[in-house]
Amino acid sequence: MRPGVLALLAAVWLSLSGPYTVHEWLILVFGLVSVGFVWRLYLALDRAAGGDSEFFRASSWLRLPRFLVAFALKVAAANLHTTKLILTPRIDLHPRLRRVPASQKTSFGQVLYANFITLTPGTITLDLRDDELLVYALDAESEADVVDGSMDRDVLRLEGGSD
Amino acid sequence: MNGALDIVTAVLLIAGGLFCVVGGIGLHRFSEFYQRTHAASVTDTAGAGLMLLGLMFQGGLSMVTLKLVLVLAFLFFSSPAIAHALVKAAHGHGLALELDDPGRDGDAAG
Repeated sequence: MRPGVLALLAAVWLSLSGPYTVHEWLILVFGLVSVGFVWRLYLALDRAAGGDSEFFRASSWLRLPRFLVAFALKVAAANLHTTKLILTPRIDLHPRLRRVPASQKTSFGQVLYANFITLTPGTITLDLRDDELLVYALDAESEADVVDGSMDRDVLRLEGGSD
Repeated sequence: MNGALDIVTAVLLIAGGLFCVVGGIGLHRFSEFYQRTHAASVTDTAGAGLMLLGLMFQGGLSMVTLKLVLVLAFLFFSSPAIAHALVKAAHGHGLALELDDPGRDGDAAG
């Protein structure tokens, strides 16, 4: 769109339904400034990450609801299990450390998987290196979903992998 | 109708509050730094999640609910990042992990 057309359309919109008071003008100007700032920040971060932001194609959004359901169920189950561990009269933990593969293709997918693990109480990601996560867990049941790879597959499916 | 919604909200708020308390108890009862981070994440996920969900029932289909959803989304990105930063810093500076079976798997990793 040519700048002249943009200016004309903006002027029409401003005169018909735009801001009228000083207060509304300030909101508009601050809004535009912060949108521009965040956009610059996003571009800079994207460049720093090597332009690896292809994770969210349009089709990923369609798969998002199914992922959120799986996510919510696993986080809820982990919360109940950890609550049980906390409230048992004799605390009985069997902490363990384990390396598990993160098979997502994009770095965003791997970070999402690592965050997923950290968000489920009972497991936490200590390190992400060479497509492998270092996972610390409170006991065997806490890490079951990590060890059998079902959480890995949840994120893979969202990413649009082979699964 | 409103009465039913209020009851749902109340139940969710109380449940969320209970999970916050459980997280606090765990923080106190667990014996070591790494274990305590797990207890804290109960507060972060079940506690905050249920409370925000309860408030969404009050907001209905409105901008308020949209903002609550965004709060939840931001929380679910920032809290694991913080938890990970904490344990990675502790691990990197050599705070030992108390493990059931030391020497197995990734224990040697820095």
